[in-house]
Amino acid sequence: MIIQALAFYLFAAVMVAAAAMVISARNPVHSVLFLILAFFNAAGLFVLMGAEFLAMILVVVYVGAVAVLFLFVVMMLDVDFAALRQGFLRYLPVGGAIGLILLAELVLVVGAWVASPEAAVGPIVPIPDPARVTNTHALGRILYTRYVFVFQGAGLVLLVAMIGAIVLTLRERVGVRRQVVADQIRRTRAESVELVDAPKRGGV
Amino acid sequence: MNQEFAASFVLVLPETFLAVAAMALLMLGVFRGEGSARLVSWLAIAALAVTALFLPLAAPGQAAAFGGLFVTDAFAVFMKILILLGTALALVMSIDFNDREQIAQFEYPVLFLFAAVGMMVMISASDLISLYIGLELQSLSLYVVAAFRRDAVKSTEAGLKYFVLGALSSGMLLYGASLIYGFSGATGFADIAEIMIGQAGDPPLGVIFGIVFMVAALAFKVSAAPFHMWTPDVYEGAPTPVTAFFSIAPKIAATALLVRVLIDPFGPLVNQWQQVVIAVAIASMLIGAFAAINQTNIKRLMAYSSIGHIGYALVGLAAGDETGVHGVLIYMAIYLFMNVAAFGVILCMRQQGRMVERIADLSGLSVTRPGIAAALAIAMFSMAGIPPLAGFFGKFYVFQAAIAAGLYTLAVIGVLTSVVAAFYYLRIVKLMYFDEPVEAFDRPAGRTLGIVITGSSLLILLFVVYMAPVVGWAGIAAAALFGG
Amino acid sequence: MAEFWSGYALPGAIIVAQILVIIVPLLGAVAYLTLAERKVIAAIQLRKGPNVVGPFGLLQPIADGVKLLLKETVIPSGANPVVFVIAPMLTFMLSLIAWAAIPFDLGLVLADINVGILYLFAISSLGVYGIIMAGWASNSKYAFLGALRSAAQMVSYEVSIGFVIITVLLCVGSLNLTEIVLAQENMWFFIPLFPMFIIFFVSGLAETNRSPFDLPEGESEIVAGYFVEYSSMSFALFFLGEYANMILVSAMTSVLFLGGWLPPFDVAPFTWIPGPIWFAGKIGLCLFVFLWVRATMPRYRYDQLMRLGWKVFLPFSLFWVVLTAGVLMATGWVPR
Repeated sequence: MIIQALAFYLFAAVMVAAAAMVISARNPVHSVLFLILAFFNAAGLFVLMGAEFLAMILVVVYVGAVAVLFLFVVMMLDVDFAALRQGFLRYLPVGGAIGLILLAELVLVVGAWVASPEAAVGPIVPIPDPARVTNTHALGRILYTRYVFVFQGAGLVLLVAMIGAIVLTLRERVGVRRQVVADQIRRTRAESVELVDAPKRGGV
Repeated sequence: MNQEFAASFVLVLPETFLAVAAMALLMLGVFRGEGSARLVSWLAIAALAVTALFLPLAAPGQAAAFGGLFVTDAFAVFMKILILLGTALALVMSIDFNDREQIAQFEYPVLFLFAAVGMMVMISASDLISLYIGLELQSLSLYVVAAFRRDAVKSTEAGLKYFVLGALSSGMLLYGASLIYGFSGATGFADIAEIMIGQAGDPPLGVIFGIVFMVAALAFKVSAAPFHMWTPDVYEGAPTPVTAFFSIAPKIAATALLVRVLIDPFGPLVNQWQQVVIAVAIASMLIGAFAAINQTNIKRLMAYSSIGHIGYALVGLAAGDETGVHGVLIYMAIYLFMNVAAFGVILCMRQQGRMVERIADLSGLSVTRPGIAAALAIAMFSMAGIPPLAGFFGKFYVFQAAIAAGLYTLAVIGVLTSVVAAFYYLRIVKLMYFDEPVEAFDRPAGRTLGIVITGSSLLILLFVVYMAPVVGWAGIAAAALFGG
Repeated sequence: MAEFWSGYALPGAIIVAQILVIIVPLLGAVAYLTLAERKVIAAIQLRKGPNVVGPFGLLQPIADGVKLLLKETVIPSGANPVVFVIAPMLTFMLSLIAWAAIPFDLGLVLADINVGILYLFAISSLGVYGIIMAGWASNSKYAFLGALRSAAQMVSYEVSIGFVIITVLLCVGSLNLTEIVLAQENMWFFIPLFPMFIIFFVSGLAETNRSPFDLPEGESEIVAGYFVEYSSMSFALFFLGEYANMILVSAMTSVLFLGGWLPPFDVAPFTWIPGPIWFAGKIGLCLFVFLWVRATMPRYRYDQLMRLGWKVFLPFSLFWVVLTAGVLMATGWVPR
């Protein structure tokens, strides 16, 4: 158990440190790299909790795809940080006040935390025994039965996002000659090669 | 499980059909390429009509699908029919406009359909998860259509503003939802309600925070003050038919969602949220009445007017009982037709092939285009709440509910702000009938547009005639919400 | 104290030893893969290839390694030094840690995790970071262009790899690599899922930035792409990482489609040969195809690469997922 505890503190400490670096790093690319580190450690925490499927999906989706695009954008944008920080002091009081209010609210909420007896209804779907059912199976079973409606709904949300991105950004350029593979393959020798007898000193 | 599962799919048949139709139309548009916008639009309107036919078929009474993620009842059917009607009318008004403004693309009706699917899911949501999914589906489609005229700075600004503030409000909603889940241990409305009944006297602080966050987020979506700041800019910047759509369907859907969330799971806590709703209602009515006075742009004016109307509708909700919700339902139904009529006229405002949006451009309209002027006058009188037009009855039912619930101050403020608001509605009538005519609007305005304007004006004018069935139906719908 | 030795130190030492047993032969294989590549390509081009250092040039990789080790590591003055140094280490490390989940025989696996195939997929999707970081930290136009190309390419082809993996695990009903191999006892999956096998292998070529998808290096246009600024050992780590990734993709192909350690027929002469040898043989076969392709195919143009990934592989693999799921449901062959 000691090893698990050590691993937990390692992942948790690195994750918190990386998260702090995300917002304090001077270079935005470094921020994104620290964000990736934080994701990765979150995946480690999932593994420790026995949620190996979520851990892997977190790495595949967030680290492997989403963060790559983030990194792309940040690298290409070349954000001017000096300009971004100009208004920092001016907005500090307002931002700080909002932060303090939120903090106070959170403290109030957490301070008043009493698990009400009625709240102990437990999960709606019983959690299967992890020794017999892997959590991939368990997730699949409720995702495609009880939650299939919202699962498909989430799919529609993504579809709309895709349509939106295309509608708002795609500009058809006129006069672009595209490669048509079928045409290239269909071309026969007879169409494209002509044998001519060139007269001496005459040219074709 | 299997039996119930199969039954669930029958219950969501209208939503499923509409989503599949939207995807099919998307494919049709992609494969037919340029110039299929008009065809896709009409097919989309047909799909909306078929969906409306499915509604009563799929939902004979109150029933829950997918383990309580989704419910159908008379309330949902009533609101969904308003949504489908609003979406279809907005689409009808869009077709000619988009052609003339050269933004006719087949994705436009498809996005409208997806927004309608999202709104239907919102209305039927009875779980925090499906609520969020429906809301996001609707909002995401709306962000895109707001920026649809992508080469115009104002339109992209509208889309971006709407997106940023909408995302903020979604974040607040999620924060509130997670607090509620954390303190009640359930996401289903029925389960939450059960837990709340036990704690009605002394609800946990976290739940109250959660409710406040959710109400604030939904107030964003219905553009109630003090969360209204995006409304004028977005209404002004978005293409006019999109503005018409924004002012109708999403408002009705978000209002329905707000009503369901507050009545269904948090009905036992009415004392807790009532004051928030009252504050929001008063703020909206005041902003709607006073901020509109100085506007010169008709679309901005309509934005403030819609903020005010939401304030009146919330007066009914603040009552927190069946009469109050009854009033809200009637108000939203009437609001739909008033806005369709007003925006129909705004869409006619073209001079020499260009859209004009200044209120001053309406001067002397009664001389140049008496029919349109009459229609707008009817809409404006109705919005101002002059009897015997429809708008009067909307206000009558909500104020009556407020008085019955003992909220006298609220009712008095409501009446006073209606008087102030009447000033700017009547100013438009005065401009049209008593001022010197300016340049006439282009004709023809388009036959479909003419039919829409005439139809909605007649509905407003003759509300007294068919009032009984509408009020009765809304009564059944409101009763369904309190049936449990 | 005794508990410390028996409870932590000894198991720890065993794990380290197991890791070494996997990594040392792997690094040897990587070294000799470079020689094999030169020899195979030379043979295809009717040349001799390296033949001076040692008999048949067998000592060539060692000579190359020593040379790279002894050279000076140059960090360009405009570079971001930390990221610049971390990038090759990351690439190399990722190509090694994936081997933890690969089963060499029944029970002969370092970590027999439930989600083995997802683990491999996750690790291979991380591979792009080494390249992007190298390209960005070098502060050079060529390197950056190479990194961008590589990132877009790897993200694109990962999508179809994901669908191929989904088809395989529809047929297996488990994400565990040992179970995936055992499910192929009767028939290796490359027979029923032949198109997916091809897609997987071709996407594997793209994922490892190998010819004909070696645009990130593209020496004729962007000199050497993302590692143009690297020298000596940091360059060697990229180099080793690339070849280790080739071996890894071959191992994944063997596990997913060629029955892992299983012999082709479960009868006498075949079963005499132990599983790990079969596995190594299959990896070798895949690696040979890697080299063969490199010697035969011209490089893809960038738009052709994207077209192949998004317009051919993605729709086709999606269709095949639906088809496989439909067939499994219709025939009742769904596992478990």
